[in-house]
Amino acid sequence: MSKKLKVVALLAGTLIVNGAALAEESFGGWLINFDRTKEVKPVTDKRYLKECGECHFAYQPGLLPARSWEKLLNADALKNHFGDNAEFDKDTLQAIHDYAVENAADKSFYKRSRKIALATAEGEAPLRITEVRYIKRKHKDIPEKIVKGNKDVKSLSNCNKCHTQADKGVFDNDTVSIPNYPDWDN
Amino acid sequence: MKCNIGFRNMVASACLAALSGLAYADDALQDIAIPSLVSTYTNGSKAYMLALNDADVAQKQATATPVTQATEFKPPMFSGSNAHKYMGLTTVALAGLTMLTAPGEGCEQNCPPPSQQPKRQTNGTHAKLAKAAAFMAAATLTTGVLNHWDDFHLEDGWTDPDNMHVMLGTAGALLMMYAVNKSAKSSVPTSHAAMAELGAAAMVVAIKLTW
Ligand code: HEC
Ligand code: HEC
Repeated sequence: MSKKLKVVALLAGTLIVNGAALAEESFGGWLINFDRTKEVKPVTDKRYLKECGECHFAYQPGLLPARSWEKLLNADALKNHFGDNAEFDKDTLQAIHDYAVENAADKSFYKRSRKIALATAEGEAPLRITEVRYIKRKHKDIPEKIVKGNKDVKSLSNCNKCHTQADKGVFDNDTVSIPNYPDWDN
Repeated sequence: MKCNIGFRNMVASACLAALSGLAYADDALQDIAIPSLVSTYTNGSKAYMLALNDADVAQKQATATPVTQATEFKPPMFSGSNAHKYMGLTTVALAGLTMLTAPGEGCEQNCPPPSQQPKRQTNGTHAKLAKAAAFMAAATLTTGVLNHWDDFHLEDGWTDPDNMHVMLGTAGALLMMYAVNKSAKSSVPTSHAAMAELGAAAMVVAIKLTW
């Protein structure tokens, strides 16, 4: 290895050590950060957690691209949100919308978000996470009776029923436990 | 700047070691539940459970849902993907140590006749570490294929982080193996550091992409 390369390695090493404290908000921040970012960024916004966690699991914004959140989170769309009325006052809606768009999959450096961003880069933006190619593929082998036919799950949209650490943004295979079928696929 | 090769190697390998070491520390922080002797002893014992909960437990038991549901789920400590992770980190650490113990550059061009060159060490610390790194690299590839087969999908394109991880990791492992092989086959010291270092770097990048 040439002297130049070694100097670069050295610099990179120093940066890595110093940068550990930096957040992963930017490419540089991600590059020199040691925190694990292979999952999805957990939700930190209290308002988002409260309002969007009322009827279902508060999906991390990193599970859909910004284009999807734009379609979902506007006053008109929320009047009929998958058959429910999920209207919010103007301020709340603005805050939730901004939070979701800022942390959307295509703006995140977390691995699963990057995969979701790639999977949705072309074509119509999906309204459902469960329609994203990557998410669909990951669940295609789970029989219906374990999901819809399972009284403790009911729908694939209820991520947190099977993903025991979904609230931390962790969806790893090792953390999956399907209610009433604890040994499925493990 | 004139600083000796050994020192520079040392700094570079320290960086690699730091990378894998810190990463390990980060991970080791996860809480580990070690069953206490008492719980193992009393767990399955009906008498103990009844004594704790008194009579109504006995009635409920007939209709109770299986015990497995009530226990809180804990991710397994030993899983295939954990094995893959630690093997990959070990490979990088071993590669770093191999770099650290390198005896010096071999000769490629205008070399003195073999009789005048330094004697080859084929079973010194450096060689042993290099072989261990190459072996670990192969084991990492194997566990990666076995445990993350379904993460590699061409339909996601080449820029998919998992796909890049596979390509860089494989290239890195092959480069390390090539370097070991090149040196092992040669009768005189031959330079092979660039290949091995490139391999280790590729693996570091591969790990970072899916870290
Ligand atoms: C009034 C109840 C209610 C509230 C409040 C609500 N939702 Fe929903 N949401 C639903 C229902 C019902 C569904 C459909 C679930 C299903 O199909 O199983 C749904 C589905 C979704 C889905 C699609 C999930 C999938 O299948 O992939 C997303 C994304 C979503 N909601 C986001 C949000 C966000 C973001 C908020 C906060 C602004 C929010 N929801 C607030 C009722 C609600
Ligand atoms: C019926 C239970 C169930 C529900 C509900 C569910 N999942 Fe899963 N999920 C699984 C199982 C089982 C796997 C592992 C599949 C395998 O072994 O390959 C998985 C895998 C995944 C993976 C890949 C994990 C890895 O390590 O590669 C992601 C990401 C994921 N799920 C996200 C979601 C999201 C987001 C939701 C909600 C919209 C959701 N899941 C709802 C059962 C579920």
